[in-house]
Amino acid sequence: MIKVEALTKKYGDFTAAEDINFEVHAGEIFGLLGPNGAGKSTTINCISGLMVPSEGEVYINQHAVTGDAIQAKASLGLVPQDLALYEDLNGAENLNFWAQAYGLSGQFMQQRIDEVLQQVGLAARAKDRVSTYSGGMKRRLNFACGILHQPKALLLDEPTVGVDPQSREHLLGAVEQLKAQGTAVLYTTHYMEEAERLCDRIGIIDHGKIIAVGSVDELRSQMGEKDLITLQGDFSGVEPDWLAAHVAGFELIEWQPQTVRFMAEQAAEQLSAILGRFATGTVKQTAVQQANLESLFIKLTGRELRD
Amino acid sequence: MSSQRMPITVAGLRLKRLVREKWGLISWLAIPTIIVFLMSLIAGTGSGKLTGKLLITDHDESAVSQLLAGSFNQGPLAEIFTAKQVTEDEGRQLMDAGEASAWITIDAGFGEAFMNNQPGQLRLVKNPAQSILPQMVETSMQLLVDAATYIQILFAEELAVLKPMLETQKFDDANLVALTLGIKQQLERLESTLFPPQLKLIEKQVAEVEETSTNITFGLLMFPGAIIMALIFSANSLAVLIWDDAGNGVIPRLAATPKALQAYSTGQFLGAAAVFTFLTTVLATLGGLYFALPWWQIPAIIVWLVFAGLVLYAMFVFIALLMPTGKVANITISATTFPLLMLGGSFFPMESMPPWLAGIGQFLPNGFLLKGLKDWLLRQEPMMEALWLPAVLGLVMLAAFWLLSRVLVRQLIHKV
Repeated sequence: MIKVEALTKKYGDFTAAEDINFEVHAGEIFGLLGPNGAGKSTTINCISGLMVPSEGEVYINQHAVTGDAIQAKASLGLVPQDLALYEDLNGAENLNFWAQAYGLSGQFMQQRIDEVLQQVGLAARAKDRVSTYSGGMKRRLNFACGILHQPKALLLDEPTVGVDPQSREHLLGAVEQLKAQGTAVLYTTHYMEEAERLCDRIGIIDHGKIIAVGSVDELRSQMGEKDLITLQGDFSGVEPDWLAAHVAGFELIEWQPQTVRFMAEQAAEQLSAILGRFATGTVKQTAVQQANLESLFIKLTGRELRD
Repeated sequence: MSSQRMPITVAGLRLKRLVREKWGLISWLAIPTIIVFLMSLIAGTGSGKLTGKLLITDHDESAVSQLLAGSFNQGPLAEIFTAKQVTEDEGRQLMDAGEASAWITIDAGFGEAFMNNQPGQLRLVKNPAQSILPQMVETSMQLLVDAATYIQILFAEELAVLKPMLETQKFDDANLVALTLGIKQQLERLESTLFPPQLKLIEKQVAEVEETSTNITFGLLMFPGAIIMALIFSANSLAVLIWDDAGNGVIPRLAATPKALQAYSTGQFLGAAAVFTFLTTVLATLGGLYFALPWWQIPAIIVWLVFAGLVLYAMFVFIALLMPTGKVANITISATTFPLLMLGGSFFPMESMPPWLAGIGQFLPNGFLLKGLKDWLLRQEPMMEALWLPAVLGLVMLAAFWLLSRVLVRQLIHKV
């Protein structure tokens, strides 16, 4: 349903997205996971037609976004990261506006407005001005505006940023419902737990490039049985040689004067021996992470997902 | 593929938001109304005719002096002057206080001197703080003196008959008939001189027609410009709102729909047209009633001013879209607005400007649209003759700015 082929977007010498390739099938949620500035929004903007790619092409429902924009956009729903609402209008008025923007009219439009209000749990507040909504309610309304026309492909750009747990649950539930109805969903986030819960497949993006693609299990398997150990303290003058020689499954990720990161098998069992090799007071903080998307991201990029 | 009703919905939402917000509409109505009202107060709201007080002290109290004093209470002079008989002391006090335009004193013996074809004396004191009215009194007196001289020459015999009657206050019928006949014969004799045949007076009864000419006052000169002021303020504010819609994410999201951005642009113009229609209907109707304009002119004024508002709105939207940020757009449009108001005839009527400045003002968009309207409304030029050129120029501007704006609005996505 969504096909991205060799997508590249450049601003002068700066490359915001480079050779991005992936497909999202009907009834599938594809997560684009990466820190802020990794290139997620650029990719979304190129897919939605807001930006023209420097190279490559995007197809929505087999229509090229640059060549057959009207047909492509007709199959597409967009829930942007920034709210796109009139705060001085009420929820129903906003939905009415966006429904007409997507060509809905008459009784069907009213029916859809009622349905999405139920879906995001805002039916009781439909006649209240958006300015009186909480941040989470605004996010839910923003989401509702993007699904009014029952798009075949839906782009969700960080839809849960800054929302309360109740609203997050509403939104994630609604996304799962859309997937069940056969919608192809491209979901960008930097929340690992959301990606693990929702996404059938995940593309990890950093510095404009997709550095890993696969299901959650496939990506986890890239970590093997190793855990991620992060030590913080003063490591100037200390060499990693001993660790490489004596820690089982040692794999160095990062060695900085204040931070050391490495992979190790059964980290919990080895930790006391490892810490014993450092002079007293050298290590000030210790963290052990089991294999997950975050530790994979750190393994792949050397930095944290929320940097 | 947006709904065909979407432009109307966009316009409706724009109006709804303006009505809810209230103060924008109120200020657009109030500012020009207050300015015209104040300017009218300063310049005078009446018919524009001068009026003054004329003091007369009659020491002679003869029939001739009374005739002279009474002449200021009759005919056109009575419309200009309020003549008041005063004593010498009253006259002096009122003139010292500057409460009259002029003071005429008729000395004792003036009437007798006139009847005897002897020189008589009139004294005139003019108010130095006024120029036009005292000059009018002086000119009127000179005309009266000239007329008296001619009467003395032409009707010397008749005056001789009249004199004893006036002195004795005894008017016998035979002498009065003789006097009347003498005056009639003299007029018939002079008819060829007084009424030369080439000046033939034809009296024609015409059907009463509706008064079309308009009495131009300062307030009326300001009235159309003041409505354009309201349109400029509202067009300015409405145009900048496009940046709000870009900033709140509406325009980028619309750009991701098949065709809704075009429908949105059309809807914004429709919304602006509705606002301009409301403003001009209220202001033109109030102004029309206040200045007693013919009722049939008011709808035409409204149509023209809504058109003018759209031209100005299109221009402001174009300027707003050219700017790199909403803040710069706001500053630039505000900076554009004030020269338009000052030179284009909204703050000051072009008629009160130095010609070179008015010449510049007439080339500004609001200036030529206003001039066309005034040429028709106030200078009585035929409507088509007065409005066709501004209409063509306005239409070209409207079309050009509208089309350019539809292209430029897409660029906003990359500016926010």
